[in-house]
Amino acid sequence: MSQNKQNMQLVDLQTVADNTYDVVIVGAGISGSIVAKELSEQGNRVLILEAGSHKDLTLAGFQSYVNNFYTAVEKDNNAPFPRNDNAPSPRSPDVSKLVPGKVDDRNYLVQQGPLALDSSYTRVMGGTTVHWEAKTPRMLPEDFKMREKHGQGLDWPIEYKEIMPYYRIAENELGVSGSVEDQKAIGVPFKEGYVYPMHNMPPSYLDKTVAKKLDDTEVELNGDRYKIEVKTFPQARNGVPNPEYNKGKGFIPDKLASVHPVEYGERCQGNANCTPICPVQAKYDARKTLNKALKTQRVHILSQAVASKIEIDPENGRVTAVEFKHYEDKDSPKYTAGVAKGRLFVIAANAVENARLLLASGINSTSGLVGKNLMDHPYMLAWGLMPEVTGTMRGPICTSGISTFRQGKFRDRQAAFAIDIHNDGWGWATGSPYSEVLEIVNNKNKYGQELRQELISRISRQLLLAFMIDLPPDESNQISIDPRHTDRLGNYRPIVSFNVPDYCRQTFAYARHFSRLIFQRAGAEDCTNYDPSDYGYFTYKGEGYVFRGGNHYAGTHVMGTTKHNSVVDRYQRSWDHQNLYLVGAGSMPSIGTSNTTLTLAALCFMSTKEMIKDLKSQQLRHALI
Amino acid sequence: MTTIVQNELIKSVEDLHYYLKQAMAVEHATLPPYITALYSMKPGTNIEAFHILRAVAVEEMLHLTLAANVFNAVGGDMKSVLSNPNFIPQYPTVLPTGETDFEVGLSKFSRETVKTFLKIERANEAERGQPLVTPREHTNSLLKVHNQPPHFSFYSIGQFYAEIIRGLHALHKELGDDLFCGDPSKQVTPEYYYNGGGEIIPVTDLKSAVRALREIQEQGEGSGKERIYDGDRELSHYYRFQQLLINEDGDENCGQYYVINKEEPEKSDKPGQPTGDKFKVDWDAVYPIKENIKLSDFTPGSQVYEAAQKFQSDYAKFMKQLESAFNGHPNVLIPAVGAMCGLKYQAERLVKNPLQGSDGVHAAPVYRV
Repeated sequence: MSQNKQNMQLVDLQTVADNTYDVVIVGAGISGSIVAKELSEQGNRVLILEAGSHKDLTLAGFQSYVNNFYTAVEKDNNAPFPRNDNAPSPRSPDVSKLVPGKVDDRNYLVQQGPLALDSSYTRVMGGTTVHWEAKTPRMLPEDFKMREKHGQGLDWPIEYKEIMPYYRIAENELGVSGSVEDQKAIGVPFKEGYVYPMHNMPPSYLDKTVAKKLDDTEVELNGDRYKIEVKTFPQARNGVPNPEYNKGKGFIPDKLASVHPVEYGERCQGNANCTPICPVQAKYDARKTLNKALKTQRVHILSQAVASKIEIDPENGRVTAVEFKHYEDKDSPKYTAGVAKGRLFVIAANAVENARLLLASGINSTSGLVGKNLMDHPYMLAWGLMPEVTGTMRGPICTSGISTFRQGKFRDRQAAFAIDIHNDGWGWATGSPYSEVLEIVNNKNKYGQELRQELISRISRQLLLAFMIDLPPDESNQISIDPRHTDRLGNYRPIVSFNVPDYCRQTFAYARHFSRLIFQRAGAEDCTNYDPSDYGYFTYKGEGYVFRGGNHYAGTHVMGTTKHNSVVDRYQRSWDHQNLYLVGAGSMPSIGTSNTTLTLAALCFMSTKEMIKDLKSQQLRHALI
Repeated sequence: MTTIVQNELIKSVEDLHYYLKQAMAVEHATLPPYITALYSMKPGTNIEAFHILRAVAVEEMLHLTLAANVFNAVGGDMKSVLSNPNFIPQYPTVLPTGETDFEVGLSKFSRETVKTFLKIERANEAERGQPLVTPREHTNSLLKVHNQPPHFSFYSIGQFYAEIIRGLHALHKELGDDLFCGDPSKQVTPEYYYNGGGEIIPVTDLKSAVRALREIQEQGEGSGKERIYDGDRELSHYYRFQQLLINEDGDENCGQYYVINKEEPEKSDKPGQPTGDKFKVDWDAVYPIKENIKLSDFTPGSQVYEAAQKFQSDYAKFMKQLESAFNGHPNVLIPAVGAMCGLKYQAERLVKNPLQGSDGVHAAPVYRV
């Protein structure tokens, strides 16, 4: 517990004004951090513009987030982070039911409908990984060829086997705990002999109980029979290192070191308190990678700097600078405008903010696809009460699930899905356990010992199933901007237009039917109830359903094979602007049934190789001139 | 002070087992004082101090594990070692630290407590030219000498480890690799331990045994006047604690970090001259817990009494789990981590409650029956 040689290179406006960097990155989330680390380690001088504050990089700052979360009334994903009107983040409690034909512009994320989307992201150092659940499944080979194989959505310009080595690099960077055997069983190919850095998170007692009652059940879908198997999920969470990893060299998890002595990053303690913040920092977040980038001493960070415009040289289409608004006080609208100059520009502000910034800069791209093809995983929740106490609230949020329906011929007609068995009870669906306390105290008049018993009985029997449903890209699902909707600094606010197509709705219907089967097999009482007044409510073939957003925004600057069918090439480089990279889930042409972070991290590692080439060839050109 | 004439105490494998059990006891003995101070801090305050103490406590657990690995490697029988009620000392207990022995007790986080911690860490130094064993006036001391009256104990913890290492070499000369006849499956391997400084070393031969013991010694070393860092280029325990008291003469509520230059350690801060950031130490944001509390200090039947009893029995369970982990079931270390977390919450509840009839003094965790 000491400070290592001063790593932090927090800089001021003047320093930024005085420098021309090799690389200017917008956003200190996982994509920006990976790019900063890889490029600075190769000797490049990097500037990161971060919209949020930098206090997260101190132990006291992190602890203040934990405390904010403890005391927050609304425990949503952004509860740990203080409100910041200069760089607002969308919050799910702000979302309310839309009135048809009416735009809801009361909050940062303007909702155009027809359905309201409650997905969030976080504009702080480390980005949304500070609140993520840290599940890291790879995408399946067929997810990359949805058009070719199933006539749905878009194909990637790269295949699974090309991204494979980068998955391994990403799994190393994030510190993934997982079982290769379990993943192989559901169709994920691995390099011969590969093991994850750490052994899988042990399945919870709840998982085992459900598996015992369900394993080997056969069901039919679209004329094919499928055998149900409960398998563990890989996740970026400190577990037991696997001594076989890396040819027997093993794996040592990074400590989440930062400016102050945070030799801290414990093994998961299984208290189901992963989202939005892990108090013992067992969960990976991008500050770990950022910290490695800072160690090179070649990375400057300007925090509280919101990028507002990308400047383009009309002669050659190259980016010349990024304009930003720097604020001193998050509670004041006062800001100073600045310009960051560099040779290469990397926009890494997530799928929504990337699109917003591009559109605000007048960059619609030749294909006109900037902001279009917005994807996210719509989730269907189903909840039941197990017949006996199953130890709900033990283990990280989710350790196992059913991935049987992640691929299959049925994808020609309806969306694939994966099921999470939640260890943290009904919280996501009903607000439990807080809602239980109110219910038992107010409606059942219980107190003392009886109250405690009732709570144990009600909570430790809860089974929540979350069905993650594949949503193919569709141009009408999109992020757009409008001069009528700006934030306090005068930046555009993102406008989201979102709908769940019938291709997915059919899967909602199947999933609901399937959830009943699971509850029946498990002997659980089905308590699922979809309220027509819920903002996520929709109907399909006369039945009502509720969906929740998965916080997996993607697709707003898809990659493809030409500048006419995509915004970026396979390296996430803009077709129209050769020194501009748009990185993150926005580049993904499909998201299958995988949480997006691992794949976007793999893509970033892949792209950095190309960025290094670009920087070298630029240098060469300069040398020749 | 008369010294024992003999300077070679370890003559048989039995002697070695005896002293390695003492090594485990002495490594554990610092845990209750550290965690009592740790949990006496009001939650959410003293974040930096909390983490400084916490990291040292975690490393003491590592030392305990390393000692267990050596003990197992030389064929020691772990049964009833940690689960023996006497494994947990009666506080205050005396730690042998050379000429000035001192008492270590269970007390709240305070300047005095941190000063005691500094003494504990200094006690790890092996002082050359000093006697190995000296007779003491008191008998409640750790590191007693095998087959000697109870007032004989090692001169210091550092001398004690030096003697174990010497004994290992001597016995290895005599017995060869047969000395390491322990069941290798009882070794706790690195996958179970990666937090904090230092690393777990599975012990299978003389080389790894000496490495493990040196790791224990070295994390405490570096309290000398020349350098602040240990063999791993990490700040030594002594100077970690000293960061809390560094500005005692000036701004009392302010600690300051030492800065270590990992690449060129000789360019690190000099002792007493930290250049890192300052941080707040709030000596008042601490619960006024009763020192060296025993179960008899509680009013039987009261809720606080029950909570203390529960803590005590759970702590005993925790020791049993550890023993089981060291006795061929390293997997048990994982639930043991969970158990430790549970103990933390119980301790936090205890320290928030005033002790009946004790004038506002608060309850505290009870470790020993």
